[in-house]
Amino acid sequence: MIAFTNIVGMDLAKQALMLLAVDPSLGGVVIPAAVGSGKSTLARAFADILPEGTPFVELPLNITEDRLIGGVDLEATLLKGERIVQHGVLSKAHEGVLYVDSLSLLDSSAVSHVMDAMSRGEVLVEREGLSEVHPADFMLIGTYDPSDGDVRMGLLDRVGMIVPFTTQNDYRARKLIVNCVLGKTDAEDTEDELKMLRGLIEAAKEQLPHVSMTREQKQGLIQSAISLGVEGNRVDIFAIKAALASAALAQRTDVDEDDLKLALKLVLVPRATRMPQQEEEVMDEMPPEDEMPPDTPESEDQEQETPEDSSDPDEQDEQEETPDMIEELMMEAVETELPDNIMNISLAAKRKSKSGSRGEALNNRRGRFVRAQEGEMRSGKVAIIPTLISAAPWQESRRKERKKKFGAVRTALVINKEDVRIKKFRDKSGTLYVFIVDASGSMALNRMRQAKGAVAHLLESAYVHRDQVSLISFRGKEAQLLLPPSQSVDRAKRELDVLPTGGGTPLASALFLGWETAKQARTKGVSQIMFVLITDGRGNISLQSLYEQDVPKPTKEEVQEEIEALSASIFADGIASVVIDTQMNYLSRGEAPKLAEKLGGRYFYLPNAKAEEIALAALA
Amino acid sequence: MTQTASAAKKTASTKAKADAVVRKASGPKKARTKKKQGQAFPFTAIVGQDEMKLSLILNIIDPRIGGVLVMGHRGTGKSTTVRALAEVLPMIERVKDDVYNRSVSEFLDGEKPKRGVKALTPEDLTVEDIAVPVVDLPLGATEDRVCGTIDIEQALTSGVKAFEPGLLAQSNRGFLYIDEVNLLDDHLVDVLLDVAASGRNVVEREGISIRHPARFVLVGSGNPEEGELRPQLLDRFGLHARIITITDVGKRVEIVKRRHDYDDDPQAFLKKWSREQKKLQRKILKAKEMLPEVTMSDDVLTDVARLCMQLGIDGHRGELTITRTAHAYAAFNGDKEVTMDHVREIAGLALRHRLRKDPLETLDPGEKIERELAKVLGEAEEVS
Repeated sequence: MIAFTNIVGMDLAKQALMLLAVDPSLGGVVIPAAVGSGKSTLARAFADILPEGTPFVELPLNITEDRLIGGVDLEATLLKGERIVQHGVLSKAHEGVLYVDSLSLLDSSAVSHVMDAMSRGEVLVEREGLSEVHPADFMLIGTYDPSDGDVRMGLLDRVGMIVPFTTQNDYRARKLIVNCVLGKTDAEDTEDELKMLRGLIEAAKEQLPHVSMTREQKQGLIQSAISLGVEGNRVDIFAIKAALASAALAQRTDVDEDDLKLALKLVLVPRATRMPQQEEEVMDEMPPEDEMPPDTPESEDQEQETPEDSSDPDEQDEQEETPDMIEELMMEAVETELPDNIMNISLAAKRKSKSGSRGEALNNRRGRFVRAQEGEMRSGKVAIIPTLISAAPWQESRRKERKKKFGAVRTALVINKEDVRIKKFRDKSGTLYVFIVDASGSMALNRMRQAKGAVAHLLESAYVHRDQVSLISFRGKEAQLLLPPSQSVDRAKRELDVLPTGGGTPLASALFLGWETAKQARTKGVSQIMFVLITDGRGNISLQSLYEQDVPKPTKEEVQEEIEALSASIFADGIASVVIDTQMNYLSRGEAPKLAEKLGGRYFYLPNAKAEEIALAALA
Repeated sequence: MTQTASAAKKTASTKAKADAVVRKASGPKKARTKKKQGQAFPFTAIVGQDEMKLSLILNIIDPRIGGVLVMGHRGTGKSTTVRALAEVLPMIERVKDDVYNRSVSEFLDGEKPKRGVKALTPEDLTVEDIAVPVVDLPLGATEDRVCGTIDIEQALTSGVKAFEPGLLAQSNRGFLYIDEVNLLDDHLVDVLLDVAASGRNVVEREGISIRHPARFVLVGSGNPEEGELRPQLLDRFGLHARIITITDVGKRVEIVKRRHDYDDDPQAFLKKWSREQKKLQRKILKAKEMLPEVTMSDDVLTDVARLCMQLGIDGHRGELTITRTAHAYAAFNGDKEVTMDHVREIAGLALRHRLRKDPLETLDPGEKIERELAKVLGEAEEVS
């Protein structure tokens, strides 16, 4: 076991964890990192810096719903003859840490339960005749490898901090890690360092109630959240808490620039959906000052200095400067952090679950436990509680019967074959990703390379997930189906390698072809379909001109109308989309965002998108 | 965690524990209200999101509106608002300790004298006042807990087949809330659809046969990005409120401030807002009392019918909902006569999700309703 202090690198992740230790109401930390970066080691070492006895519960990926939420403890129940309740993993982590390794691989229903517990601080158990509320106020630590897919946005929304994506540590660091693993560090040193760290955190916790933040600083953070296009209002609270905790760690009573910067990096920037617009006014709708005085928390008997009165003239000066400073500062943070993390996390593409899929068959082995039904013992997993329930009413009469037959009755329970209930599960079905790649002349050559790289990468990931991928390119007069829905990576790659660029942009034709492909896939049982469009959105060839030779050349407006109508139909058909805009910033006339809007999908402007990152975005 | 916050958290957690213990002690047979009284964030302290708040209030005034679906961005206070609802709800009268929250007339429904036993009369029953129940249906709920099932403890120990009521029983005459309703499992959706349509829950399983009233206001919330709602379920909701991220810095600062104050000292915060809460409660109660007196002229009714026709809304549920909602809205505003102004305010809420999905339609549903409404009103002016 490697101690927290012996882990080399991942400094930002460590900072995030320390802030969390200072203020657990930050909810948690999510750490995306590549294999071998030591992320899970770090997460487990987090226990080192927490007060002794803090629960640290690991959530295994294959957890069943009843173990997660809680339920009846069968053995104890049978032994005692009364219902004994077993708390689930969520509740066991109460006032401690819930750790999930490979968070992005966690089953979607498990994710929903974690989300629900985090927003309530408790678990509602309404299962198998049981109705209870268990406390479940925990910090969530999640680590994952972005190449495994992304974490659901709803869950990230309840986690305060998201560490920017890190790849591997350098050689030196790795060597140190190895040494640590081999136990070649001084144990005493380690213990001292840990003690110090714990002391630091304890001190910071005491300091925290005395840290204050000016109203302008808060407004600055909130304004940043707005200009980054972060969804929801919950982040404001997280950002402010992170800044306060950071100041507390430094034993300050005021929040300074570094604290704000850290809050931006860990809370806001990872959730950005767009680049901030510089000309955006910072504070146009400020409410009158007297309505809401700045909060300076009341401080009880403290040894530290009292926070400065907010009417202090010095601070007033500072207040006036702060907002601008934040705006600049954020730009810096965006520029440095964007390429590394935004695309991994906040590009989480939208998923639509199948609607109206009532005809779905239940099976006996895999998926989510739906209900128990009568069945043969050997045909599946036995649902014990329902089996008991069905046997229960007959116990008295059966015991009497047995007594008649055999004399004394030795078994407590008499269960007959007809009592047996089998668990029925609902299977999860895979997703089809339709990659629609603009290969027209307007795509600069280097962006085409990125697009190709992205598809290749996506194919690899899809192979791992057993998802299907289809490839459509469009250039010249008409779109082409290069690859029908398939799991064959090699074939797709070959097609891609020989894909030429140049000519017009038959976007409408591509959408139409994609839709046709999707419809076909549906008949084969694929329920989730997502379009990944890599384009600048500037279609200029209409569908009509393809089928009717003699019509006059359609106007720009007509082409646009066609695209919009098609997009709306595709959206209405329940197909999810993500549009990745490859247009250069200064050329953009907003076509791609409009396309995304009509498709009801997410839009991302990625002038410098790297192949890998586009792929990750799509696979989210 | 700040000291105060940690102290507050601790109290909250001990309270939760205490709750759990009480629940255990009282056993599952006794009726219980689930909400932690006086703990939720005050409804009136929620900043913005007026559409959602209004929808909920209108449903309190007239539960026949049929519930509300709240869809929108993450982290915008959807579930906070619904959970805050319990505090502004009025009281209802039920037969004492009745697990189905039945009123006297519901209780006596179908009561007939049986061999030698006299039929119960209202005089035989004692009643009690309870707060309108708000029942949370978690996604992980199993079918037996939703519908109710045989009481396993009694069955195992005494061999008695007793019925243990489920969440549907608890929510009779109250609110049934499902967070992330779009992620609810299909088989539970089927159950809900059946019960919502008939107002009764019928349990035929494990050798028991029970039917009990289950009329509830269905409240669902979710983020449309996470999944779509089944059309049949969508249709069940009377109103559809949308909720978006607030982008006004001043409002957001206020949200942060109120949240901070609440976390810091919940009791003081609740006290500070109790006047507002009581005011709203009184206003709702007044509207509820006034509702039977609210009338709608034939002209307005005709306009409403014409609006629904123009929008191509199938069936009468649209018209019925918009009419009821307009009545409730008028009552809430203290008006005894429904005008087209009232209708205009709530038309989007009542009709948004009922427009036929036209794949080639590019107009936003709200705009479309607004446009047709203007047309109807324009025509009305021309005629008169």
